[in-house]
Amino acid sequence: MRGIGLYVHIPFCAARCPYCDFATAPATTVLRGRYLAALLTEISREGAALGRPRVRTVFFGGGTPSLLEPDEIASLGAALRSAFELRPREVTVEANPATLDRARLESWRELGMTRLSLGAQSFRERGLRALGRTHQPEDVEPAVDAARGIGCDVSLDLIFGWPGQTARDWADDLDAAVALGVAHLSAYPLELQLEPDEGVANWPGGGWPTLERWRRAAEAAGPGDDGVASLYEQAEARLARSGYRHYEIANWARAGKRCLHNLTYWRNGEWLGVGTGAHSHLAGRRSRNPAALLDYLDRIEHGLGRIPDPAAEPALDTAMLALRLDGGLDLSRYGHRFGAAARDRAAAALRLADGSLVDTIGGRVRLTPRGRLLANEVFASLLP
Amino acid sequence: MAQTRSRIRNFCVIAHVDHGKTTLSDRLLELTGTVSEREMRDQMLDSMDLEREKGITIKARAVQMRWRGRDGLEYEMNLIDTPGHVDFNYEVSRSLAACEGALLLVDASQGIEAQTLANAYLAVEQGLEVIPVINKIDLPAIDLDVVRGDLRATLGFRDDEILLASGKSGQGVADLLHAVVERVPPPVGDPAAPLRALIFDSHYDAYKGVVAHVRVVDGRLDERERILLLATDKQSELLELGVFAPDARATTALECGEVGYVATGLKAVADCRVGDTLTLASRPARAALAGYRPAKPMVFAGFYPSNAEDYTTLREALEKLRLNDAALVYEPETSQALGFGFRAGFLGLLHLEIVQERLEREYDVDLIATSPSVEYQIRTHRGDVVTIDNPALLPDLSLVDEIREPWVRATIIVPTTHVGPIMDLSQGKRGTLTDMSYVDPLRAMLRYDMPLSEVIVDFYDELKSRSRGYASLDYEFAEYRAADLVRLDVLVAGMIVDALSIITHREKAAHVGRALTSKLRELIPKQMFDVAIQAAIGNKVLARETVKAKRKDVIAKCYGGDITRKKKLLEKQKEGKKRMKMVGQVMIPQDAFLAVLRLKDDSP
Repeated sequence: MRGIGLYVHIPFCAARCPYCDFATAPATTVLRGRYLAALLTEISREGAALGRPRVRTVFFGGGTPSLLEPDEIASLGAALRSAFELRPREVTVEANPATLDRARLESWRELGMTRLSLGAQSFRERGLRALGRTHQPEDVEPAVDAARGIGCDVSLDLIFGWPGQTARDWADDLDAAVALGVAHLSAYPLELQLEPDEGVANWPGGGWPTLERWRRAAEAAGPGDDGVASLYEQAEARLARSGYRHYEIANWARAGKRCLHNLTYWRNGEWLGVGTGAHSHLAGRRSRNPAALLDYLDRIEHGLGRIPDPAAEPALDTAMLALRLDGGLDLSRYGHRFGAAARDRAAAALRLADGSLVDTIGGRVRLTPRGRLLANEVFASLLP
Repeated sequence: MAQTRSRIRNFCVIAHVDHGKTTLSDRLLELTGTVSEREMRDQMLDSMDLEREKGITIKARAVQMRWRGRDGLEYEMNLIDTPGHVDFNYEVSRSLAACEGALLLVDASQGIEAQTLANAYLAVEQGLEVIPVINKIDLPAIDLDVVRGDLRATLGFRDDEILLASGKSGQGVADLLHAVVERVPPPVGDPAAPLRALIFDSHYDAYKGVVAHVRVVDGRLDERERILLLATDKQSELLELGVFAPDARATTALECGEVGYVATGLKAVADCRVGDTLTLASRPARAALAGYRPAKPMVFAGFYPSNAEDYTTLREALEKLRLNDAALVYEPETSQALGFGFRAGFLGLLHLEIVQERLEREYDVDLIATSPSVEYQIRTHRGDVVTIDNPALLPDLSLVDEIREPWVRATIIVPTTHVGPIMDLSQGKRGTLTDMSYVDPLRAMLRYDMPLSEVIVDFYDELKSRSRGYASLDYEFAEYRAADLVRLDVLVAGMIVDALSIITHREKAAHVGRALTSKLRELIPKQMFDVAIQAAIGNKVLARETVKAKRKDVIAKCYGGDITRKKKLLEKQKEGKKRMKMVGQVMIPQDAFLAVLRLKDDSP
């Protein structure tokens, strides 16, 4: 067995970022103890159900995993080691700047952390304010240094297209990220969903109406699709100049530093996701946990499994995901995996897509630079 | 069993929309014991279910009630319902023709409105005894003196003629029935003459065919007779006759002066037109009753299926609708942009909207409707006159002597504080003020002559918004007048989209062209390339806008590998595209074809 990926969701955050759609909850919630207990229960139950599989990659995502206390990290580590054969090639922990201290980092290192994914988002004070972030630009560098100090690679998340952002602002952000010499960069446009997700229920206060107001205002004040497209092209040019490989639509890496865990998603591989809102893909089936904390707790405490997601279409999903990667879709390998009919269908659909969006060379279909910005056009052409 | 004619009263209730006609009618049914209070609710539910099941209107439109007058005698009271909208004025006038009297309802809080007047005039023209009723007197903060003043000033009623009632509380309703008995004359007519029955309404029943709602003017009608319709010259063996009380109740005869229904066995309402005279095949009446004319469509629009494969579905749906709607006319039409479809004619914009909605809801046809047009008369140099109802068919103007368009006479009642904006609006719509008077110290009545084409394009909405909802409108066809009109074409990516062509006044063409291209730029989504949108008269381009090429769509990360969310989004996107029409290489959404109705945001 080649092993699976393992995703562990830690929903807690010091504050809710108004643009975020992940399953999050206040760090101070009274449910925190119950959540961690449920998470440990789920880990041991799933490990047993899968026959203690080998785990190749681990990703602690959130939320803000870096908010966990050392003892919480330790018990999580113990649970994982007893439930799985834990010999991972990569263990990523998501963190917010200004939440990392030496004691926590040490605990994560003991758990096997190899990689820190830092939510920097911007190095501009204005940018952080426009995004509703609570940290300061100067918090990023110490966090990077601390992670490096314990031998970890660092990936930075940046967000572009925030209200008021100029090309100059973005150039400065990119320069700052490059200057830090990080191994990996994710750059996402600010995309604001205008429908509430289940996780909204986890937060006290104004709830969805407040978020929606913020999002509509940010949308209206943002640079629009054309502006975002220009910023994206700016990032491509800048990062290519500094030797980053644009290996996925929104991700760049130095040689050998691609995120192995995320590659599992894009190759439509197998992973188990535990914790609220986590998705899994195992043995050809997709499933998920509820993103509302109480629903999740309820399910786990009553011994219920994940909610099946009937929408899995392996051939279609694989093609769509593969096109996100710079390697594109290898038609002959695709044919071996899903049969000649599926291969021909995909090839025909992609031939019909606008010629400026995809290139087909040597049996491989790849998005062009324009196609990366308009990938949905290409993906939609693959739909039946 | 028929009453003697002196104890029959045929009357209707007329009112402006929302002045409480339905509620009051329900109270009348209740008070006369025609329907009990409990039944009232059951009844309504039942009939709604049935209506939904059969897709037809079953609700009785002429209900027979019994009422004991103050003289101690029992009267047969036939209440004839009337449609409430200006589009159906002709039907209203036919309903009135079946009556000797009318209750004219005026909302105590609103006073007289444009349709109150229009309906009252129609009733007076038909020689009806009009009983003015101030309704909704249970409402707080009403000033009955002002409403009485309205009725005195505009319609010449005396205070002692005016009744007060509340359809909601039932107050004063018995007095209305007494007034009908005492003031409305019994029907006159010759019971010995050959049968003449006026068809004032009809509906289609899946089992009985076309059911005509009739008022027997002369003679009598017995069961199992062969009937003849004078206007359409159709004969048929009659299946059943009876009265609505309020359910259809078969009887053996309809006597002179009575109101009831006749199941004709005919297969299409078009054979049994409202206004026609029903007589006996064996002993036909020599002359038809006055007033029959086919309902004349005033507004035309193209109806096209979004997907060409749905053409047959659309045709069948139209056929079914026409079974029950004699005023709906249509014929096949072809558009270069939209393919095969139909050009349909309607009594007015509301009628158009009703038909469109029914096609979409009841028949599940995904429809593209083009901008409504009126019918133009065109005289060419060769002297022949052609009428066109589709702007794309306007001949080359170099061959045209004169274009004439329909004008209407519009009545607008508006608070004096809003007269200014309403006059600006009407002038902008090429209206000429012919009269202005005061209904009461606070409200003015304006009369305008106006081109119908201007009325059907957002005039009513603008009227409402510029008067904060207080203005009311009524209009009737007046005449055809010559005008300096041009066809404004719209080119999308260099191609004329015939379905977007409109006919407009030459002086307004540049402005309309700019507004239209700018609206289309909003409505047409970004495509994979720049799309030019131009408005032109012939080769002369008046306005140009560009829909810039789409540069990006949603990039979003896969949330922890959640591809389902992504796929849902893509499927929605694909669905959205399916609902658009490919014209050349450009995808145009359905609502863009109605862009001309939505220009007001951009007007000065």
